[in-house]
Amino acid sequence: MSKLHSSMSDKKIGEHPLVEITATVNGRMVSRSVPNHYRLIDFVREELHLTGNKEGCGAGECGTCSMFVDGVLVKSCLMPVQKIMNATVETVDDLDRDAGRTVLQQAFHKCGSSQCGYCIPGMVMAATSLLRKMPNPDREQIKEGLGGNICRCTGYQKIIDAVELARDVINKKIPDSSLEENLLEPVMGARTPRLDAPGKVTGSVKYAADMVLPNMLHMSVLRSPHAYAKIVSIDASAALVIPGVEVVLTSADVPGIDNFGVFIEDQPIMARDYVRYTGEAVAAVAAETLDLAIAATKLIKVEYEVLDGVFDPHLAIKDGAPQLHDFAKNNITKHTKIRKGDVEEGFKQADLIVEETYQTAKIEHAYLEPEAGLAYVESDGCVTVHSPSQNITHHRHALAKILGRPINKVRMIMSTVGGGFGGKEDMIYQGMLALAAIKSRRPVRYVFTREESFIASAKRHPFSIQYKMGLKKNGKIVATKMVMISDGGAYAMSTPGVMNKSAILGPGPYQLENVWVDAIGVYTNNTPSGAMRAFGAFQSEFATEAHLDLCAEKLKMDPIQLRMMNLMRDGATTHTRQKIDRVLAVDCLNAVVDLAGWDQGAPNRHGSGKESRKDIGQSGIRQSCTLGTHLKQGEKV
Amino acid sequence: MKKRGRGVACGWYGIARTAAMDRAAVWVELDDGGTVKIATGVTEIGEGILTGLCQIAAHEMGVRPDDIVLADNDTARVPEAAHAGATRMTYMIGNAVAIGCREAMFKFKKAMGDYWGVDPNSIHAENREVWVENSPTMKMSMAEATHHLKKDKGIVIVGSGLFTSAHTPLNPDNGEATPWQSYVFGAQIAEVEVDLDTGEVQVLGVWAAHDVGKVVNPQQVEGQIEGGIVMGVGHALMEEYTQHQGQVTTPGFAKYILPTTLDIPNIHSVLLTEPDPKTPLGVKGIGEPCITPTAPAIINAIYDAVGVRITSLPATPEKVLAGILKQKRVIKPKVEQEEFVTAE
Repeated sequence: MSKLHSSMSDKKIGEHPLVEITATVNGRMVSRSVPNHYRLIDFVREELHLTGNKEGCGAGECGTCSMFVDGVLVKSCLMPVQKIMNATVETVDDLDRDAGRTVLQQAFHKCGSSQCGYCIPGMVMAATSLLRKMPNPDREQIKEGLGGNICRCTGYQKIIDAVELARDVINKKIPDSSLEENLLEPVMGARTPRLDAPGKVTGSVKYAADMVLPNMLHMSVLRSPHAYAKIVSIDASAALVIPGVEVVLTSADVPGIDNFGVFIEDQPIMARDYVRYTGEAVAAVAAETLDLAIAATKLIKVEYEVLDGVFDPHLAIKDGAPQLHDFAKNNITKHTKIRKGDVEEGFKQADLIVEETYQTAKIEHAYLEPEAGLAYVESDGCVTVHSPSQNITHHRHALAKILGRPINKVRMIMSTVGGGFGGKEDMIYQGMLALAAIKSRRPVRYVFTREESFIASAKRHPFSIQYKMGLKKNGKIVATKMVMISDGGAYAMSTPGVMNKSAILGPGPYQLENVWVDAIGVYTNNTPSGAMRAFGAFQSEFATEAHLDLCAEKLKMDPIQLRMMNLMRDGATTHTRQKIDRVLAVDCLNAVVDLAGWDQGAPNRHGSGKESRKDIGQSGIRQSCTLGTHLKQGEKV
Repeated sequence: MKKRGRGVACGWYGIARTAAMDRAAVWVELDDGGTVKIATGVTEIGEGILTGLCQIAAHEMGVRPDDIVLADNDTARVPEAAHAGATRMTYMIGNAVAIGCREAMFKFKKAMGDYWGVDPNSIHAENREVWVENSPTMKMSMAEATHHLKKDKGIVIVGSGLFTSAHTPLNPDNGEATPWQSYVFGAQIAEVEVDLDTGEVQVLGVWAAHDVGKVVNPQQVEGQIEGGIVMGVGHALMEEYTQHQGQVTTPGFAKYILPTTLDIPNIHSVLLTEPDPKTPLGVKGIGEPCITPTAPAIINAIYDAVGVRITSLPATPEKVLAGILKQKRVIKPKVEQEEFVTAE
């Protein structure tokens, strides 16, 4: 729901004038009075409980809320509800008009087009719109038709495949049976269509934000505007006196040991004494409506004493830098060391030493489902939290301790996850929900806005990697040294694990005798870094693979040959001195060369005046986007 | 003017939790109608593990994937299978499901062997039927068999499975450890086109070869690889979460740019399917290893195309163009050099 409010001066706090809306939705006439700030997405989801279409960003950027108004595809998060007066609205919930799934939905199922499924209702609507307007689009036209819809899981390939399949079935180019599962394949190794796909292509599967319980309260969270500050006082009295505001929570309300963390328990469920990053939760309100909860949150007065923060990990480890946590000297969260052989001796043997510094960016997971949860207390006193958590086992442990309850009186249920990529491993809001449910004795739901998800959840660690590699003339690597410093942000979250994995895997799948790796994770006043797909190895292996290319160029060697010379073989000893029997590294490199073709030579050969490579521009690549793509031959711009 | 180039990168990855004891447990019941109930803390986050586990259970129990009912992931109702991450789902929970189903089927075959008076090892179950090998008469549906065992013998067939992957912690001084039992490898090649006037990079093709162990569902493995590569394209070329003095300057999708359908390369993947010798099923994993080679392959391809070495991700048009202009300043005669300095 929008956080933008009209003036509230002449009416009760958190209440909005109502507007009566009459429209035809999915073939049925509806007439409802709703707050006048509602958007079409709010009307459909909150008022009509048609939750098939999801809200992904609230800003018209992601397309998950796409639906039809008078047959035109719109992003319903951008459309004020008044605009649908007397109009016809179609949502994904009833796209098939009760006739089973549409051909397009069946094609999405058959092709494996849905993964987390959160973007899929919007994708189905956009693809339906495309096929209504253009019955026979080619692959490039399909891509354009879906260009306004973001998917973070699939890489889009299988979504485009599905639209092609549906197009051909609808146009009778191929039989309807093309949509059916092949039951003749043995079960193991079969392309069994996903069993959860029917619910995802129709929007009928419920994510946490789609769930509703009778008598449910809505939560809004007050977040820190400062990156580093001491909390002098919190005064919630103005919020508490508003009728309909049931609970206001601060860290003072936490009954147990208030800290959590996957590796280091350093984070309270709401800021305690200090805020350490912008967006950190400071207080939470549960109220009868979301409008009321948001309005009440704004009435909480927090007095801060703003402190000088530290935002660069290289500065944070210096003496005299602000110390963010008592237990972490020089703000060092974790220092992982790998030492194998004698790296200095290796450099002495080298014919060539290549040094470079690499940097990777802080990355947003950008799952399409913003965080959400629903908590309640069962009749046996068990507090239950539904949320798209990637780690309910750990969250139950953490929450039992925070709430001071026996572990079997805390129940965590994983709701359908609309994408995680590691970003939903940290228990950043479930504690507030559980506490609000206990205090109010009512169900409480909390749904993040996209902006909250951006500022409050963990990111991929940005790394700075100093690389030094020694090689013989023939390309044999004789020494590898990597010194990596990473911004872990305000709380540890997965930083220790990420440092370990980045260090263990960083030097790559190569047989190395002399290895030195330091991976240092550092506390700063930035948004915390946490788990993300490939967990440190993305960053460290990037450096190694980019560096090898640099070395190949200096050695005037083909980069594949250089890798072949150094790759681990069966029986290799890893950088942590583990012997591994079976190593398919060479097989993979050979397989990809067979698949893609590869014209041997040192990198950037035409730049160095040599003949250009011969393997480019062949079949198997897409067309490049150029000006005038849509012009017919001979047509002028 | 545009130039094309290619780059390669390798990668490797460890399967399941790092340098820590990993575990997953499962309960199994052969249920009425020849269906199967599986209770485990499975955590589907979109990769398709629910379907994969149903395929594994169906294979082991002689039924079809849609005969399986998987209990929801709930700390109060199902045994622990730990978290969703670390490329561990198929490997850890898949093996646990297989072990649990094998225990149930051992009991089932023994009970049916008693019923038919034959060696349990001569009993086979597949595609909803159970039969004795080389017998034309001793054959019934799994539904009938379940009904018979319950009604006539009072037997409910249940099993449990536990899979543990033992890993040792890192020595704090030198990192010595067995962080994982199973490793996977991979390699990717990327082809890019770089616009010399704007610095813009388009990734036209990515070829990927990954060692994934025994494959349960190739469509889903491809789905992971395609999703990982496109995420890698985003990381390589456009994604960067920025902050100024701790304030987020990219607070939504208007500022934080993600790949769309118009940015994606054609993707070709080949799976190396040699079973992992260390586990009952021979499966490994692919969720994370597919993303590591993509960005360096793209960065190396940019260098190959235009001789600009990007060392700081992402390779935005601004960075690539600055590299191209710097190169021209070095190469071009003096008059043009000044022109470029002004242009910058």
